Amino acid sequence: MNSSKYIIGFTALLTAFVALVLSLMYTGLKEKHKQNELLFEKRAVLGAIQDKVGKNIADLNDDEILQIFNTNIKQLVLNTKGDVLNPQEVEKKGYKGGKAENIDMKVEMKKPKDARLLPLYVYKGKDGKELYITRLFGKGLWDEISGYLALSSDKNTVVGASFDHKGETPGMGAEMKDNPKFSAQFKGKTIFDKDGKLVSINVRKGGAINKNHDVDAISGATLTSNGITNMLKSSLENYYQYLKK
Amino acid sequence: MSEIKESKKALFPMTKKERKLLFDPLNDNNPVTVQVLGICSALAVTSMLLPSIVMAIAVTFVVAFSNLAISLLRNYIPKQVRMIVQLVVIAFLVTIVELTLKAYSYPVYKQLSVFIGLIITNCIVMGRLEAFAMANKPWQSFLDGIGNGLGYGVILIIISFIRELFGRGTLLSGTPIEMKIIGASSDFWIDTTTNPYFGWYVNNNLMVLPAAALFIMGLIIWYQRSKNEKLIGIS
Amino acid sequence: MEDFLNVFIKSAFVENLVLSYFLGMCSYLAVSKSVKTAMGLGLAVIFVLGITVPINWLINHYLLSEGGLLGMDLTFLRFILFIAVIASMVQLVEMVIEKMSPALYNSLGIFLPLITVNCAILGASLFMISREYNFSESVAFGLGGGFGWFLAIIAIAAIREKLKYSNIPAPLRGLGIAFIITGLMGMAFMGLMGIDPAIFFSGK
Repeated sequence: MNSSKYIIGFTALLTAFVALVLSLMYTGLKEKHKQNELLFEKRAVLGAIQDKVGKNIADLNDDEILQIFNTNIKQLVLNTKGDVLNPQEVEKKGYKGGKAENIDMKVEMKKPKDARLLPLYVYKGKDGKELYITRLFGKGLWDEISGYLALSSDKNTVVGASFDHKGETPGMGAEMKDNPKFSAQFKGKTIFDKDGKLVSINVRKGGAINKNHDVDAISGATLTSNGITNMLKSSLENYYQYLKK
Repeated sequence: MSEIKESKKALFPMTKKERKLLFDPLNDNNPVTVQVLGICSALAVTSMLLPSIVMAIAVTFVVAFSNLAISLLRNYIPKQVRMIVQLVVIAFLVTIVELTLKAYSYPVYKQLSVFIGLIITNCIVMGRLEAFAMANKPWQSFLDGIGNGLGYGVILIIISFIRELFGRGTLLSGTPIEMKIIGASSDFWIDTTTNPYFGWYVNNNLMVLPAAALFIMGLIIWYQRSKNEKLIGIS
Repeated sequence: MEDFLNVFIKSAFVENLVLSYFLGMCSYLAVSKSVKTAMGLGLAVIFVLGITVPINWLINHYLLSEGGLLGMDLTFLRFILFIAVIASMVQLVEMVIEKMSPALYNSLGIFLPLITVNCAILGASLFMISREYNFSESVAFGLGGGFGWFLAIIAIAAIREKLKYSNIPAPLRGLGIAFIITGLMGMAFMGLMGIDPAIFFSGK
């Protein structure tokens, strides 16, 4: 039997050692973690405009991603009235950096609609035309789902889309991310009808009916598909005023 | 005599006992199929080969080094707080794995998510500490850890091989950045969706479901025990 | 209250820890040979989950997060603190039961140390973080998750008791068939997927 003094001494020493090593490691790697998180999102943004960039995004290394981002992409932050905010205003609202990539959608979607901040990425390609990449955020079957939808310079025709999810069922709901055929369907669809009403894009079970506004649902994943429809509708409604301009 | 000669030739000279420590867990004393340890995480990450390999490496690292650390400390650990000391050592190593993965292979980190943290409660680690490291010398404990990590990895790789091939029609698929972590360069070996010879294959969605891992595991146990009859009747 | 029931039912039936996420499989397979012992372990799991998830919520919220009492981001200590809470809670529960009710201790006692390394316990705490539950939801999640685990282990134990009388190929007996049956149970539970318990309480 050990004395309680020894036990306390031993545990204290062990804890101190462990805490010290871990905190050194954490502070040492913190910058890299942050950078990785931002790079991951940057890849997702570029994933929506893969065809326009002309390269397979997954094949590019980190420096190439940063290069495309720095030369071709303008990051804007909007409010739901459609005004572009300047970085100082955004920083005042609590986002250090003040860029689109700093916006936390989870926080924004909980706010009342008028107070939301929206990230928008504007891509200017070689042909000089601008593409508008909007952020999507919603709820799937199990957990949150998100994505990026890229619109062409008419702010109506979809150029591409990329999706991500946190916990959809593998082989079913998770196909939204894993199966490139799903996101490829979005290309060429329009989000406004001819009267200028926002109809968004519906993920329809049993196959697309309206060729301008429907895509086929993911088989076996009705609720995830409905989640994507809702996500598209509610997210695009936030951008409505800007897109109408 | 012959044994000494053999061990001289080997890269790392090992006694027969040490070799047994290293290789027994691959079959006769497999942690997953015989000792019934570490099943939860084995099932959760096996839908694809790449995360399974990363998981196997991470678990091997944690078992080997926690075995080593506990074996070094075994005469100093107060009996009353034994469990907590062991868990602190394991949690320490797992946090190191998590921080490293997050810094150097973020996509894989995202894919494994909570299951990295669950290595702490992977019973293989705790089980080997209790059963082996508390009573054996550091070097042997280290070998035991490596052996058990590999035994776990073998099962993981068999299951994920079957599940990825039949469920998705690919093998070792992953983007180049994800592949960097295991040192591979090409995208994948086979992709039935683009390969003209496999165009007839329709992916089997059952294989992607978690339940498939259980079925395959049951079949692996059936096969192993029919080949190795002394294992019949264990639990 | 609605949220409480909603999370409880969801975690017990729809997102069952064992059958949907395969957490806590090791003790689930090792201790499911008879209904009686399975019951003992199941009750202990409900108990420990019900305590540790809320405690870990408090720790995460008030100690580790950036807005907590210490004002620092200490999330890298999360694993160590969580597992320490779980281990010490299990030890505490063990001592209390031993003092209060030796009979219960004798039937439960041997399972309590096993619970520390049950992935379902730590898993529930980690899920509680990643799903961002509030305090009352985390209480419900702990209890509901424990109850779901209890149900699953009772079910498999009952099936395994009956399986003893079946003519199964020798190498498949025991562990092998238990895996396959758990797989079938998991697929059956997938039928509950996507049910939103909130509908039952909204009065529609």
